[in-house]
Amino acid sequence: MNLLKIKKPKLRQRRFVFLTFVLLLFVGSANLAAQNRKITLSMEKVSLRQIFNAIEKQTDYKFLYRDVILDNKKDVSIKVEGREITYVLDQVLPAKDLQYKIQGTNINIILNTIHKNTVSTGTPITVKGTIDDETGQALIGVSVIQKGLPGNGKVTDANGIFSITVPVGSVLSASYIGYLTEDIVVKDSKSLKIRLSEDTKTLDEVVVIGYGTAQRKSIVGAVDQIGANKIDDRPVSNLTEALQGASANLVIQQKSMNPNDNEVNINIRGISTMNNNDPLVVIDGLVTNLGSLNELNPSDIESISILKDAGSAAIYGSRSSNGVILVTTKKGTINAKPVIKVNAMVGYQNPDVLVKPVAGFENAILKDEAAFNTGNTLPYSPAQINDLKINGAKSEWFLNQILQNALQQNYSASMSGGSQNSSYMVSAGYVNQQSNFISGNSGTYGMDRYNFRTNLVNQYERFKLTTIMSYTRSESNAPNADVGNLIVDGERIPNYYYYQQKAPNGHFLINDVLSQFTPMGSLEAGGYNKYDTDYLNGSLTGELKLFKGLTAKAMMGIDLYDNHRTSRSEEVPYYATADATTPSILQNPNGSTSDWNQKYYTINTQFLLDYDRTFDKHHVSGLLGMSNEAYNSYSNDIWMNYVDPKLGTPTSQTTAIAGNVGGDTTPMGTSVSDIESLFGRLSYSYNEKYYGEVSFRYDGSSKFAKGNQWGLFPSISAGWRISEEPFMESYKSNIGDFKFRGSYGILGNQNINDYQFLTTYSTYNNTYAFNGTSVSGTGYQLGNPLITWEQSANLNVGFDASFFSNKLTASFDYFNKVTSGILIYPTEPSVLGTAVGEQNEGKMQNQGWELTIAYHAKTGDFNHNVSFNIADSKNKVLAYTGQQQINSSDEMSSIIAVGQPYGSYFGYKTAGYFKSYADIENSALPVGINASQLAPGDVKYVDVNHDGVIDSKDRVILGNAFPRFTYGVTYQVDWKGFDLSMLIQGVGERSEFLRGELVEPYQGNYSYTMFQNQLNFWTPTNTNATWPRLAAAGSTSDTNNYGYSSQVHMFNAAYVRLKNIAIGYTIPKSITNKIGIQKLHISMNAQNLLTLSPLTFVDPESTEFGNNMSSGGANSARSYPTLIYAGFGLNLEF
Amino acid sequence: MKQKFRKYYIGVISIILVILTSCNNLDQIPTGEFTDATYWYSTDKASYVLNMAYNQMMGDSYFFANEALSDNLFVTRTSDEKLISSGIANATTGRFANEWSDCYGGIRTCNTFLENVDRVPAMDGTLKARMKAEARFIRASLFFRLTTWFGDVPLFSTNITVPESKTIARSSHADVLKFVRSELDSAALSLPASYTGADIGRVTSGAAISLKARTYLYENDWANVATTCQQVMSSNIYSLFPDYAGLFAIANEHNSEVILDVEYVPTLRTWSEYFDFAPPSAGRRVNQQSPTQELVDNYLMMNGDSIRATGSGYVESNPYVNRDPRLAATVLTDSGTWAMPGGTNLIIRIKPGTGTIDEYISGSGNNSLTGYYMKKYSDPTYTGSFNSGLNLILIRYADVLLMYAEAQNELGKMDQATWDETIKAIRARAGFTDTNALEFNVAWTQSDLRTIIRNERRSELALEGTRIFDIRRWKTAQSVLNGYPHGAKYGPSTVDNGYIRLDKRTFNPNRDYLFAVPQAQKDLDSNLGQNPGY
Repeated sequence: MNLLKIKKPKLRQRRFVFLTFVLLLFVGSANLAAQNRKITLSMEKVSLRQIFNAIEKQTDYKFLYRDVILDNKKDVSIKVEGREITYVLDQVLPAKDLQYKIQGTNINIILNTIHKNTVSTGTPITVKGTIDDETGQALIGVSVIQKGLPGNGKVTDANGIFSITVPVGSVLSASYIGYLTEDIVVKDSKSLKIRLSEDTKTLDEVVVIGYGTAQRKSIVGAVDQIGANKIDDRPVSNLTEALQGASANLVIQQKSMNPNDNEVNINIRGISTMNNNDPLVVIDGLVTNLGSLNELNPSDIESISILKDAGSAAIYGSRSSNGVILVTTKKGTINAKPVIKVNAMVGYQNPDVLVKPVAGFENAILKDEAAFNTGNTLPYSPAQINDLKINGAKSEWFLNQILQNALQQNYSASMSGGSQNSSYMVSAGYVNQQSNFISGNSGTYGMDRYNFRTNLVNQYERFKLTTIMSYTRSESNAPNADVGNLIVDGERIPNYYYYQQKAPNGHFLINDVLSQFTPMGSLEAGGYNKYDTDYLNGSLTGELKLFKGLTAKAMMGIDLYDNHRTSRSEEVPYYATADATTPSILQNPNGSTSDWNQKYYTINTQFLLDYDRTFDKHHVSGLLGMSNEAYNSYSNDIWMNYVDPKLGTPTSQTTAIAGNVGGDTTPMGTSVSDIESLFGRLSYSYNEKYYGEVSFRYDGSSKFAKGNQWGLFPSISAGWRISEEPFMESYKSNIGDFKFRGSYGILGNQNINDYQFLTTYSTYNNTYAFNGTSVSGTGYQLGNPLITWEQSANLNVGFDASFFSNKLTASFDYFNKVTSGILIYPTEPSVLGTAVGEQNEGKMQNQGWELTIAYHAKTGDFNHNVSFNIADSKNKVLAYTGQQQINSSDEMSSIIAVGQPYGSYFGYKTAGYFKSYADIENSALPVGINASQLAPGDVKYVDVNHDGVIDSKDRVILGNAFPRFTYGVTYQVDWKGFDLSMLIQGVGERSEFLRGELVEPYQGNYSYTMFQNQLNFWTPTNTNATWPRLAAAGSTSDTNNYGYSSQVHMFNAAYVRLKNIAIGYTIPKSITNKIGIQKLHISMNAQNLLTLSPLTFVDPESTEFGNNMSSGGANSARSYPTLIYAGFGLNLEF
Repeated sequence: MKQKFRKYYIGVISIILVILTSCNNLDQIPTGEFTDATYWYSTDKASYVLNMAYNQMMGDSYFFANEALSDNLFVTRTSDEKLISSGIANATTGRFANEWSDCYGGIRTCNTFLENVDRVPAMDGTLKARMKAEARFIRASLFFRLTTWFGDVPLFSTNITVPESKTIARSSHADVLKFVRSELDSAALSLPASYTGADIGRVTSGAAISLKARTYLYENDWANVATTCQQVMSSNIYSLFPDYAGLFAIANEHNSEVILDVEYVPTLRTWSEYFDFAPPSAGRRVNQQSPTQELVDNYLMMNGDSIRATGSGYVESNPYVNRDPRLAATVLTDSGTWAMPGGTNLIIRIKPGTGTIDEYISGSGNNSLTGYYMKKYSDPTYTGSFNSGLNLILIRYADVLLMYAEAQNELGKMDQATWDETIKAIRARAGFTDTNALEFNVAWTQSDLRTIIRNERRSELALEGTRIFDIRRWKTAQSVLNGYPHGAKYGPSTVDNGYIRLDKRTFNPNRDYLFAVPQAQKDLDSNLGQNPGY
């Protein structure tokens, strides 16, 4: 049997091309004028590549070509002496259907296009063949055509077999989505065996889009697809973490690394609304909520599509204005042997605390200095300071005592395969991440997640049934304490030997500075909050091919959360001294038990008609659908005080006193809403060159009053693959593909609370009392019957380009979004006296760009993959009620003002520190502060309006907390079974406002220690200092220096972080096969190994701003520490 | 084959049917809340709105924070009150904005009640009239609070609309007072003099008249203060409760001296400020505020002399003996007693070197920085973290007597009879027995008496939230809120004779007698204007 298998390009040539690329990039061609242009060659029966190599050795010429065009060429012989390059090439090339072009020292070798399309006229014969992939699985539906005569084509059947009649000598071209196209010359009627190799990053890549799929080359919207390879093998406890840095303008901020509260912000293309900025999440066609991403088993993910622009997202209409995340899970393959995969990762999370307190005696000296500076009594005598110094070794920082390294384990196993009519994928996973807080009575803190999934596809002739059933159980055991409090109570206690959290006899101790409770007592004995979630995501989809090109599809799914929390607040006694017999104070004195239950589910039903036909060069596809999403949420809760301290069960105290039992019943915890939709899409393309698409969605929502419920969200997009034009032929052959694309559309947002259009009266218990009996009270909120959809007009333009036979791809997008009618709770004057429901009052613009570059190459045995993305978005408020609103929390102020980025930091500019008393006298001072109360070294503010006083009119924009210039770099390389991968992720520009003890020394008589990052303070001999002079807490200087929203609190939170690095090795098959293992891969992993940032004492990624830039303060200094992970991984395949 | 496909069609059609039947409706209304159309259906529902108005009349946090604005207390931790009392507040200070919005919030509740109560079917007419009068009293009290703090404020008697709220201007202080007084007059006519059973604690005609007296007092309108107070005194409803300390005990709530209070119930509706006021060994959290030496010094010796008077018998090294018994009832001093839940009494040692956790520690933010702790209103029946159900008295009869005494003196009418009816009665109740302390002295000038009455007022009403209004109307704030406040004599002897010197205060008489119109409100409504100096 004549195996006409196409040889893979040899490694050497790949390396050659790579080197060429490197040369082009780094050396440039300026000095590469060929010194020796005469060529002498004498070669017998060698390949063209060998000839090219020989020429390169003699000259400075470099050959550029797509590997594939030199494949399958006959060997040639040549004998020349001292000839010009053109002569040599003319000798070898014409016969080979190839052309050359010399540009400087580069010689481009391209196909001879005139010759290419020549149709063979040999005797017609019928050839049969089978087509399979690299794993030996038959490929169904591969199109096999006679080259130059596209009308003569066949498709492989269920066994991968085709039969075609062509003239002898003609070329067959076998192409299949996601695979490299193979060309075979038909010599005789012997049966062909064609093997297609997967093409992971080409124009034929299948991309999941709304309600369907499309080939990469036909995509005209801004769509990014993240493949499983970016998610697998990352030691992350949830999917969102794995997506960080994976796609341009998919901005992910991990607000806290606490395993019990893995709060993450996800924004696509930044802040476009003052309302909720959460993207819409769709898992296997089923609309769900953002949190569901983290309930998935990352190993189950086949791909994740990020729909960023109106063209791609408008099909999701009313919920799509913040972008859409489409998750597709893995399915089995028809006619495939079972494959079993097992993954395991085990490692430790080590808390990386960035601040360090000063030594105890140093702190006492500094505290005296602060008091001295402001004329207060010195709190420490020299004897006391000496005592602290002598006993310094006995002290331990409270924070170190409550943190520990914590184990993290990820395991998953799956089995997939298929028979002739059905395929399956069954998987299970387990993740366990322990908390870094110490624990005690309440068991180890941390989280566990169990995943189970069955994806089945059954096909019978024209009917296909897809059944998806996925179940997740998450359990979390968290301390009954606020994390910020635990951290700050650990941080703010000075290193004095006499401050101890626990006596040797087990008594928890309090002291004069930590007088209510200690973090150790809270963690070891204060109780717990145990959360558990059962999450079910299941759907049934029936598809029926009605006639050619037209498919009807009906889907019904449920996305169900069953959430439960049980909490115990346990009484903890604290003692003044180890030998005290009665406690000084009780933490949680009314020891309680509480339970909360919520059932939240969405029933989604869809009916779709899908049309897809190709008529010669015309490709038409259309989609018409209707959908209903019914949201239902029911919750109740109950709590009891004074319960049995051991079991948490009621005692007579619990029941005897009114008010010791309480809670909410289901009617108070019910929320029901509904969205009904009609949607469609029509796309047309001509000759894979011109693309046009329109889509629409017509949505009705129960969140609005009758008459305002329905909204239409249309979009139009177009693309032009200019590289397909005849005049670009040589560009395409020599450089690659190029496509322009653009879209415009209107997207919607209705992410607000239910019933806002109604004036609602709520009754509260125990509002007042008469004669010792409590009574209820009623408050109300004014509704606004006029509210309706937010609308965002989206413009997107971009291009996709590929270079060096797809080795390098680049994609760029610019977008401009204007969102109007933004639903906000308006700030009405408080003289109105009541809260007002949301109104369509805001308008803002958001524009930005994205650039993604990917490169993959082989050099020798090295296989490199590099991808880089960078993006920016910048928003501006265009309209707002009352023009502006200032929100303040503690010292921090932020502003929403027309013409400015949404939620910018707002406050006073500083002009360094006062240099002298005369400087103070001659400067504007904050209202109420007299020159006599300040001293040199205190903060000087800028009198912006020159009215001689620092007051609210002097405030300006100080910065913004939303990350700008976000980027991610992924590098993967493998060599002879070894592999290395790296993810670097960063933010180019971001401001962060920090208040509290890490900034202000001895803040508010609340913090009692200074930290090493605060030591560069102003003194008469250190005037070029980072911080103002030390001043006693509560003094006017202290208020002046730290009491305002000012630049003193502003920090540059740009950073670059080595998010992940992994080194692995695949044991050679020859060894593993002996023990029945197909693949055995071992690896070492590390996360967050290195971070570079100007902000050194707080994790620059931490933020207290949520997805809509709302925040409850500026206490990032109190967030859970950054975790550095190090561990091992194992992948097994049978 | 055809049949097979029919089966599939049936499958598809049935799924479509499921789609059409499983929808929620697009028209949803809440299940846990009423809407405007459904709420006003019963007397109970109407009374809940009135209850909300009571809740908004006055809160415990303002009750204790108001005292922190005065020279009676020193605030340890950063707070708006500390900024205000230090003279470094500005128009963005949170307290100003909160006071403004809380008062107008309560006013809206009252207006909503008054505008909708007539929608309630078959409501008892007498009850309705009384409830309307209660609402009008509460609304008047809130406008009075507003105008006392801010001077000119927006005034209206029906709910305003959103557009109106953005253009409304301030009415003059005089117009607001006029409205307040006329509302109190008409409320007094419809309100009963007293209540029985479950209604005890509601506002009475006596409360309306007493509050009206206060509106005159704050204007130094002495003649009207005297006549209005006389109305209360001649009604013979109120009398001094025999036990001064017991006035503030939960067992004696609604006693004969209480004219208006804020009502609480143990465990159900409680306040817990003492969690941050109590001494360490009582299990406090932190120390938010504590009495100053200046307050302690105000208390007379048992013989009626000021501690500074020659021959008063005051011993600086043993300062708390032979003092006005109200000192021990109001302030916890070194070696004072502290009642704990369950009936035990602790002796609290604050003096440095006594070796207890209550000891004064320089610079500590969790122990008192003045060497004193608050005591009045500390309630040993609390549960949990100082959750107390003790009522907080807003107006009591002693206050009426003191107002009357002050007015009579300012009118030049202070005489033996007025003295006996007011100051003497109050001192006798406090526990004074020495005739020098109790009896009127004809040699006293009007000015002497002014000092005596003002000091008496400070001692009697300390920590009840009235001092700040007194020093403002007397215009003495500019002296008593200027300079260093002090704590006990636990400091270095080189500074201020050893009395702990605390954070310096300044008071700008051209600005600080009024709160600033909140900046954010000015931004939303350009017609509001601003008070001088802000």
